[in-house]
Amino acid sequence: MMRVPVIAGVGMTRFASERLDCNARDLLAEAVLALLADTGMSDLKAVQHGLCSYESDHFNRQMTLAAILHDQIGLLPTPTVRVEGGGATGALALRTAWAYVQSGLCDSILVYGVETNGRGVSSQTANQLFALSADFDWEMMIGGTYTGFYAAMMRAHMQQFGTTPEQFAHVAVRNRRNAGFNPLAQKPMDITTADVLASRPVAEPYRLLDCSLLSDGAAVILLATEDWARANTPRFAQRPVVCFTATGCGTDTMRLGDRYPHITNFRAKRAAAQQAYQMAGITNPLDQIDVAELYDSYSGVEIQAVEDLGFVAEGTGGASIASGMFDLGGVLPVNTSGGLLGRGAPVGATGIAQAIEIALQLWGEADPRRQVAGARRGLTDTHAGIATISVVNIFERRD
Amino acid sequence: MPDVTSKKDVQNLPAVEGDVWADFRQVERLTLALTQSYTHTLGKYSRFFIELENRRFMATHCGGCGKVCAPPRPLCPECLKATNWIELPGTGTLETFSVLHFSPGSNADVAALPTPYIFAYVLLDGASTLFPHLLRAPLEQISLGMRVRVAFSDHPVEHPIHLMYFVPLE
Repeated sequence: MMRVPVIAGVGMTRFASERLDCNARDLLAEAVLALLADTGMSDLKAVQHGLCSYESDHFNRQMTLAAILHDQIGLLPTPTVRVEGGGATGALALRTAWAYVQSGLCDSILVYGVETNGRGVSSQTANQLFALSADFDWEMMIGGTYTGFYAAMMRAHMQQFGTTPEQFAHVAVRNRRNAGFNPLAQKPMDITTADVLASRPVAEPYRLLDCSLLSDGAAVILLATEDWARANTPRFAQRPVVCFTATGCGTDTMRLGDRYPHITNFRAKRAAAQQAYQMAGITNPLDQIDVAELYDSYSGVEIQAVEDLGFVAEGTGGASIASGMFDLGGVLPVNTSGGLLGRGAPVGATGIAQAIEIALQLWGEADPRRQVAGARRGLTDTHAGIATISVVNIFERRD
Repeated sequence: MPDVTSKKDVQNLPAVEGDVWADFRQVERLTLALTQSYTHTLGKYSRFFIELENRRFMATHCGGCGKVCAPPRPLCPECLKATNWIELPGTGTLETFSVLHFSPGSNADVAALPTPYIFAYVLLDGASTLFPHLLRAPLEQISLGMRVRVAFSDHPVEHPIHLMYFVPLE
């Protein structure tokens, strides 16, 4: 199919706990300047459509950002649309852009994600604002937090499968170490499993170092038909072609309790993966995927993800991860960027940053310390809530 | 001289070599407030909260598939039929929980809770789903599978969900 979108270019800011000098518009400007450098374009006038990716009107304190951001980056009067899907927003935006290109509505579309989740509000306010995406009367009003919902899921996983805090601490250590090989990562750390286990409890069984970051940042990807990319992005011909070949999406109940008795794993993630694998012709994901960015909002969530994405059998994620098979140099390196734990997570930009990492890996342009040799096919896993909306996108190098 | 009355902070960020924003390194930040109050309807869930004042624990029952939902669901998601209210005995089993050391202070009731507090998921006898609420018990007495019951608050609360909580079943 000639309309399978290719990645025509990428750009992102370094993710930071706080960018004093940037509001959402300023962050996007930086990401777009990086895109221009990446593509060799001098402006965006040829781009036919925009797609705005941000989660929170509360954090950004600005509504109708799509048009405002278009103005900021010289895209007026090009059409735009906003996509919102909680934590999955960036990945859902790319999935939507996939359909815009496939349908013929446009030949090129700039997916731009931005969020100011850093220190504009206190941690307490941030938790309240995030908890608004939980069930207001039945979860938020009794003092529930997302850390708590995830923690309760992990406790059930530990009870049913024998998963241990040492196993999920492995994720906290590895992803922060990988972040050290990514100059755009927010918080690389050289820590040990013992450091994670000694950090203060936040929502047991999760401790401070099991938790991902709040970030300011922006990320953009230019998707296009191959013909458009060849005609409009000077650097395209110098790189292997990377296609956005498949996408899947699943949903689940907002409240964990309504999923009973299935409270250890993510049904929506399984549904999303099955759709994407079918579209990409993947029957053995562990074998057929070379690199993946997984949604490690909390360390243990990566254990659940490797199971629900079918990399390993349900219940074996903890032991598999502790074996190092998902580390750099392992069978299937994951979160080479540092993940949400080390690279950071400005929500609307997160799924886009994950896809940028996969593009760099497939182009062979990642820092040599984190480059997966010969990577040809990569996956992103992104979700909202406790995988209330889940999106799996697959990218492939074609040459 | 005119002045800015909100709390403000002005700083000059250090320039870095090759910085395209060299002309934009002076940064002013303000501390502003955004407060809202609003009418929040409990809608078709209202009877659950009203009956808590009568020390009764209610759930919904679907006449089509028999599923009993607590928290209630006015529309059965399986059958897409309107459900009916039933009363449950309020006893149940602890299925999973988290110990929260950080309180979001979501309302006055939550802000008054000492930390850590136990955020519990309970399978109520007669229900098909887990009900989330606080379990008030010493940490060393908590174990998965333990029997618990609904207790009713004697104190005034801001949000009626705090008219109840869980305690160990003696």
